[in-house]
Amino acid sequence: MLNKILIPIDFRIESLNTLKYCLEERKQEKSTVVLMYSAYSSDSITELLFYNPAKIIEALVSPNFTDAINIIKNKYESSLHSFKIELFHGLDRNAFLNFYGAQGIDLVYLPKDYCLKPHKNGFDPIPLIKKSKVQYREVAWTRDHDTNYKDELNQLFK
Amino acid sequence: MSSIRKISILLIISISLILFFLGSSVYYFLSNYSYADFYKRLEARVSVAEKYHFESNQKDAQVLKNIRDEHLELLSNEREYILYCPSANSMKQLADKNSLPINFLTLVYTQQFANYQKGDIFYHGKKRETPKGFYFVIVSAKNYYNTHHLILLKKVLLAGGLISILIIIYFTYLFSNYFFEPINKIITKVNSISTDNIHLRLDENKNSVEINRLTTTFNNLLNRVEIAIETNKNFISNASHEFGTPLTAIIGEADVALLKDRTSVEYKETLQKILKQSERLNKISQSLLFLAQIGYKENKLNYAILRTDELIMQAYEIMNQLIPKNNIEIDFDLLPENPKKLKIYGNKELLILAITNILTNACKYSSNKPVVVSLASTNNQIVMIFKDQGIGIPESELPFIFDPFYRASNTAAYDGYGIGLPLTQNIIKIHKGELNISSELHKGVTIQVKLPVAEL
Repeated sequence: MLNKILIPIDFRIESLNTLKYCLEERKQEKSTVVLMYSAYSSDSITELLFYNPAKIIEALVSPNFTDAINIIKNKYESSLHSFKIELFHGLDRNAFLNFYGAQGIDLVYLPKDYCLKPHKNGFDPIPLIKKSKVQYREVAWTRDHDTNYKDELNQLFK
Repeated sequence: MSSIRKISILLIISISLILFFLGSSVYYFLSNYSYADFYKRLEARVSVAEKYHFESNQKDAQVLKNIRDEHLELLSNEREYILYCPSANSMKQLADKNSLPINFLTLVYTQQFANYQKGDIFYHGKKRETPKGFYFVIVSAKNYYNTHHLILLKKVLLAGGLISILIIIYFTYLFSNYFFEPINKIITKVNSISTDNIHLRLDENKNSVEINRLTTTFNNLLNRVEIAIETNKNFISNASHEFGTPLTAIIGEADVALLKDRTSVEYKETLQKILKQSERLNKISQSLLFLAQIGYKENKLNYAILRTDELIMQAYEIMNQLIPKNNIEIDFDLLPENPKKLKIYGNKELLILAITNILTNACKYSSNKPVVVSLASTNNQIVMIFKDQGIGIPESELPFIFDPFYRASNTAAYDGYGIGLPLTQNIIKIHKGELNISSELHKGVTIQVKLPVAEL
């Protein structure tokens, strides 16, 4: 059976560890993954007029992030059926439940220790998700507690 | 041709063309209009004359005459003809007598009314039929407006066009100088920079984005050139130091031995020390030669399709022989499912040498603390990551670590002569890969090697 999984990300490589551990857990079945980035929608009329989620996502994705996603895709080629990145602009529980329903999500995976560090205009949706009483699982990984944080590919590795 | 001149000529030609079209269309439409208008005025006079002669009694005639005198201004050379023509045959005679063009009379005869122009005299005529025969009512006049006003307009347009072209030439000259002046400045400044004053940089121009980009590009280039020159200087001093140390030791040993007669045991000892230093010298010069050769031997190398995971395993076995106490951990967690994505096209010996070099450094500078080797692959690149927990490299020295003989300032306690890393980088480079190094002092070094996946 195809499961649809939602994972919140912040477009930093470390946040993809959730995806990695989630796929590791669900190796036996096929899953579809929705990577969700939460951002406040703009309050400028012109920006709303020319609103284009693909452009917003494109601006946030770094070459290293694409590499990291490709590494995971190659690793779990047989269990990862497809994945997409979606923007979430809602602010409350109902908005999230709407998104959850519209995307047809079955299960949410959340990082346990890692705290999402969103870019400008972004926010951390994890408290909202936990409040929404949807089914979620938390995964944890060992982290080096770096003071000067660098977004590097090796954060995906041990 | 310089681009200043090109741009100005293009600008001048295009603006002159626009001016020319504007002027000629004004002239053309105005002259067209003036002709039509003039014929209309003649027509009005003809119809007044016709009414006056044929349709009015004495009283009306007076009124019409008044109207004509008051409202219809006299045109220059205006003449009015009322010609009686008994039959079509007498037209020729009539024309000759009144010096009217015969063609015009024929036209009026056939079309009832007609316009005609001969030289600068304009005619409008109308055929009036009466029971006795027919009359020609004709008014002719000179088109004063056409001859005078249009010529004036032509002159004004020509003079105005010429003056505006002159102004345009002047302005394009001014503007192109204004825009190209910063470029000239950059050229003189760049010309003045040589190896002696390579530290000089171009001033940023805040007014123009393009010029600013040009100056920053130049400045970045100069930065890189400066680093390259620095590297060269470093190489010479490092190399002479590396070669100098064993040579000094050899000379010192030999000097001391020669001070007085010694026993054969002492001589043997001295010779052994000299031999050790000479071997070191030999090793340095050989590795230096190898380093230089890799650069130009590229096309003579034996290339084959290789699997990177096998390369890492073979390098790992070599490491077990070289440093039995090593603590290398191999992490194949993120290995792609498709083994095709692990294959690269390269030279096996060189790649194993590169990997063992990195691993030896990692083990050496971390005193055999754990070293993690990870392997993964994106769609077109294989990523190898080597993480150690050693002494790290000071951030200020990171740009120089790929220079031959360069050794970071905190490596004095460790043996080595600074060839391994540049050699490794050369090997990765000839395989069209990338080697990135990041480090935190006292925490360790992470080396990331990216190699292109072989196209099968």
